[in-house]
Amino acid sequence: MNKFNVVGKREPMLDALDKATGRARFTDDLSLPGMLYGKILRSPLPHAKILYVDLSGAEKATGVKAAISGKDIPKKKYGIVPMAKDEYALAIDKVRYIGDEVAAVVATSLDAAEEAISKIHVDYEELPAVFDPLEAMKPGAPIIHDEVPNNVSATIRKEFGDVEKAFAQSDFIFEDTFETQAVNHCPLEPQAALAMVDHSGKVTLWSSTQIPFFLRRNLATTLDIPESMVRIIKPKVGGGFGQKIDLYAKDFCAAFFAMKTKRPVKFVYEREEVFTSTRQRHPMHIQLKTGMKKDGTILAQQFKVVADGGAYNSTAPLMITLACFFIMLPYRIENLLFEGFHVYTNKPVGGAMRGHGIPQVRFAVEAQLDTIAEKMGIDPLDLRLKNAFQAGEPHPAKLLVQSCGFSDTLIKAAEEIGWKEKRGKLPFGRGVGLAGASFPSGVSNMSHISSGAVVKIERDGAITLLTGAADIGQGAETVISQIVAEELGVSLKEIRITAADTEITPLDPGTFGSGVTLRAGNAARIAAQVAKEKLFEAVAEKMEVEARDLEAKDHRIFVKANPEKGMSLEEAIKVYQYSDRPMPIIGRGSYQPPAKEPTTLLKEDGNFSPAYSFMTQAAEVEVDTRTGKVKVLKMVTAHDCGRAINPMLVEGQLEGSVVGGMGQALYEEVITEKGQVLNPSFLDYGIPTAMEVPPITSVEVETNDPEGPFGAKESGEGTQLSPAPAIINAIYDAIGVSFNSLPVTPERVLEALQKKDKR
Amino acid sequence: MKRILKLHVNGEDFEILTEIHKTLLEVLREDLGLTGTKRGCDLGTCGACTVLIDGKPHLSCLTLTADVQGKKITTIEGLAQDGQLHPLQKAFAEKGAIQCGFCTPGMILTAKALLDEDPHPSEEKVKKAISGNLCRCTGYVKIVDAILSVTDKSSES
Amino acid sequence: MRLPRFEYIEPRTLKEAANALAADSKGSVLLAGGTDLLVSMKQRVIQPKRVINLKTIPRLAYISNGKEGLRIGALTTLHDLSLSRTIREQYPALTEAAKEVGAYAHQVMGTIGGNLCQGNRCRFYNQSAFWRGVRRLCFKAGGEICHVVRKPKECHSTYCGDLAPVLMALDSRIKILGPHGERALPLKRLFTRDGKRPLSLKKGEVLKEILIPEPSGKTLYLKWRLRGSLEFPVVSLALHIEKGTNGAIEGARIIFSGVGPGPVEALEAEKMMVNGLLDEEMIEKVSDQAVREISPMRTSIHSPAFKRKIAGILLRQALEQMMKS
Repeated sequence: MNKFNVVGKREPMLDALDKATGRARFTDDLSLPGMLYGKILRSPLPHAKILYVDLSGAEKATGVKAAISGKDIPKKKYGIVPMAKDEYALAIDKVRYIGDEVAAVVATSLDAAEEAISKIHVDYEELPAVFDPLEAMKPGAPIIHDEVPNNVSATIRKEFGDVEKAFAQSDFIFEDTFETQAVNHCPLEPQAALAMVDHSGKVTLWSSTQIPFFLRRNLATTLDIPESMVRIIKPKVGGGFGQKIDLYAKDFCAAFFAMKTKRPVKFVYEREEVFTSTRQRHPMHIQLKTGMKKDGTILAQQFKVVADGGAYNSTAPLMITLACFFIMLPYRIENLLFEGFHVYTNKPVGGAMRGHGIPQVRFAVEAQLDTIAEKMGIDPLDLRLKNAFQAGEPHPAKLLVQSCGFSDTLIKAAEEIGWKEKRGKLPFGRGVGLAGASFPSGVSNMSHISSGAVVKIERDGAITLLTGAADIGQGAETVISQIVAEELGVSLKEIRITAADTEITPLDPGTFGSGVTLRAGNAARIAAQVAKEKLFEAVAEKMEVEARDLEAKDHRIFVKANPEKGMSLEEAIKVYQYSDRPMPIIGRGSYQPPAKEPTTLLKEDGNFSPAYSFMTQAAEVEVDTRTGKVKVLKMVTAHDCGRAINPMLVEGQLEGSVVGGMGQALYEEVITEKGQVLNPSFLDYGIPTAMEVPPITSVEVETNDPEGPFGAKESGEGTQLSPAPAIINAIYDAIGVSFNSLPVTPERVLEALQKKDKR
Repeated sequence: MKRILKLHVNGEDFEILTEIHKTLLEVLREDLGLTGTKRGCDLGTCGACTVLIDGKPHLSCLTLTADVQGKKITTIEGLAQDGQLHPLQKAFAEKGAIQCGFCTPGMILTAKALLDEDPHPSEEKVKKAISGNLCRCTGYVKIVDAILSVTDKSSES
Repeated sequence: MRLPRFEYIEPRTLKEAANALAADSKGSVLLAGGTDLLVSMKQRVIQPKRVINLKTIPRLAYISNGKEGLRIGALTTLHDLSLSRTIREQYPALTEAAKEVGAYAHQVMGTIGGNLCQGNRCRFYNQSAFWRGVRRLCFKAGGEICHVVRKPKECHSTYCGDLAPVLMALDSRIKILGPHGERALPLKRLFTRDGKRPLSLKKGEVLKEILIPEPSGKTLYLKWRLRGSLEFPVVSLALHIEKGTNGAIEGARIIFSGVGPGPVEALEAEKMMVNGLLDEEMIEKVSDQAVREISPMRTSIHSPAFKRKIAGILLRQALEQMMKS
């Protein structure tokens, strides 16, 4: 029974009708009088010194208002992780991958801008390039950034327990190597930015960003102006999945040219640029050694992970750290050694993508667990259940897991896929598989990872909510509004929300690390509580009761113990006004995820997330053993997301995430040859179409997390960790081949079947 | 080369002076301010720019504007009639078929063309019809549900 | 990506179009559905001076039954083909093929003539100007070398049309109109197998009509691609078989798409079938032979060896289906 009025309801997104009618405005939908259009010239070479950039041809072209190259911009490096800044908005000294930004122009029309960039001449001195991260780590490999002579730009080494001893005590040891591919996020909206500068020099930038406040900081840095001189507004954003976390040349160039020309400037990327010159999921090379006891206990795991970072860092240190930390859940592994390396290559740049460093390693663990189960004669489900982490257990890395529905997700996913009847019992070519995972709900204990909110109770009873949260299509604004509506006892339609404008809305770290609902939701809830308390004070005084005995619900304020005794919200507001209290009735909330065990994530051990979600994905597949094509017949996703604030939106998150995971299992790979992306289009890069999608069953495993707003935790991002291994394990069940690399294309299936026949 | 083109969009007549090499997508967005039609790949492989021409789905990024003079062009802005939302618009919103919303206009228009052709398509037929409209957010599940829910309603009435 | 600038012509008759084309055949292109042409223009693979729009010419889109068989106007859309009852009843393989092109909107826009005359494809050619600028200009784009096979002045681009194999299997003829009048020829002679100039159309010639003879025998179309939509065939196959009253095969046509510089007919494999009975042994023999007659190249992200394998599998599947029916 839902004891809430708004929380837990399947409410449509607040902006759904705007999006269904074409009224919703994305960055590229905006234009300003006198606006100029920009284009970027990109490097055709994977690694080269820039000797000379001749802009004169472009500058002379009709309609062109300005042209710049790297030498025209402030020599300020940026990067999403402060300790790993390694990128200029336009390349200054040299280019490091095909697609690296070299120069840019603005013109009075897009036609003119496109034509003009072909008139820029660049002299390069080509340098030896390196494309394989294992090669790049070897002595003597070409050096991509002078500051990093071994090309290893981020590392992590963590050990818990005594790994060596644990392996010595193991009854069985398994060692495998896994490879994962580069994956593009493919948001349907290509990256875009529109900038305007006022007379004081203040820059306003509308950007397809999922992280406005960080963008403000990075943009100010690259422009070399104070942060207060930059305002970022996030219009509707057409999907991000992590790709819109970074600052891109389009943001810098729009702002820089707007400052230079005193005219509004817009830059929009082509789909090809999204593929070659934004971010992608890091390909990884993973060596995994697992020690098992006869009874199925995982005694120890040892990882050596090499991530192909491409030409720049982006989130490198964070990514490799997350890969490490999230391998410590959802199983109990007392002895664990993780060594991770982020390596530069002359290729497109790796960055945050749904799951952020974890799906790759998760794939290795989950695929290996199934082969271990087979060799040890244990059911893969039982093996997982035996090692499943439980709430409240001490964790070797001091993670504090207060709620954990992992075992439940395993059992329910298995039930739903028909595990008992099907696993190992289907005809050759058909199979079922499952895989588990865990994900944080944001990161604790870093003050810049705080959220603020303001809630104003208006004279007519409507509620104004200001939040910095960046809705990129997941429905954050709706969910946060539901939280506020619930807290104030009003309906969702009473909430007027303004979000993600760095000048108007309070600080928020943005959409990453699955912390939005928890962080911004808690901040908004606190703000609502503060506003409510102010109102309660006045009402309590008038009714001669204690404020703490009051409750707000159904648009009324009343005495909890005697609901008849109360008044409407409008009356309450009047009471407040006539009590000579100051208007407006306003509540402010700031929320920083607490950390009972202090950690800085990158440097110290300890609990680093306020809450952890748990999930299991299960798949049933059919392999056409003649053509090698794998058809997914059914997917099940069982997710412990705490309490779902909006179950319909949670389902939408899960379904979309599962299909993305399917793409990574079977269809998607950014293929490069000598650093050139061979398939930078939707024709050749196969994101799933509606034809590929099987029935998907979402099983909610509700827990009530003490830290989440109304008990809510992450949903949707962690879901993308294990569809791929679930499918790979189902293929293993179907044809007895365990794949160690992704994606499993028909070509690879046929090769594997042939090899198997020969044996 | 500029030319005067006469266009019939969402029931309104327009006479515009524009470059002949502009696609319908560019003219709709830039000359007519109808930004509901989205540019997702610009090469005809994502479906975000889909509009209806004489009731049938067309990729506006691969359509010359001059070529559609005299034809009935419908964009997402013109789908609601007399302030009444099209049942597909309502169904998409209510069933959670919209997340980021970037594919939504093209998706809804494609679905409308399908339902006008075949008011009771099978689930497979719905999937096939929208298979050229890519969506990265929803996994298509709720989109297919929303479209099928509209066919159910029309069979009831 | 903006289109390059061009002069735009709307002829009123096909004759006018042919004359306009003949006047500057190198600098002009014909616009039908545009789904192939406009992509190539945006990518600057071609930069025509003039675009001649065929769609404004009346009476070029029709499906009509005559005494020689079915006549289809070149501007008939793939969607209209797939909706045609006549075609569905008499040539179901053609309905299937039309429904497999691109997705819904591509079928609404694309025409039968445009589909037949679509450009050959190659992973080194069908890319943006920026992409191609990373490498030396390829032979097809006006350079000297081929990135697929390192031989000068040869182009190995691949024909990827869906309709041509079926229409060839149905023994279709085409009618072509040029500045000097009309001519008719078997469809298969439209294709030169020269990657750089894949069509045999002469100066000013326009494809006007497709003629499919009275239905006889049985035709199948099977298409293989990774996803269930959008993509060109990795490999596709049309198989046509005519059987005598005794069950022996009197004629067979095996035509592939995606595995050569034009639609590829497996002539030797076809010969093997004549006068034989369709049984397991023949299926084995014929499909082994057919894959020797195709020449897939590394023109897409799929390997030639894999394409060959799939071609064999498709043929086997098609022959088995025929055997069962």
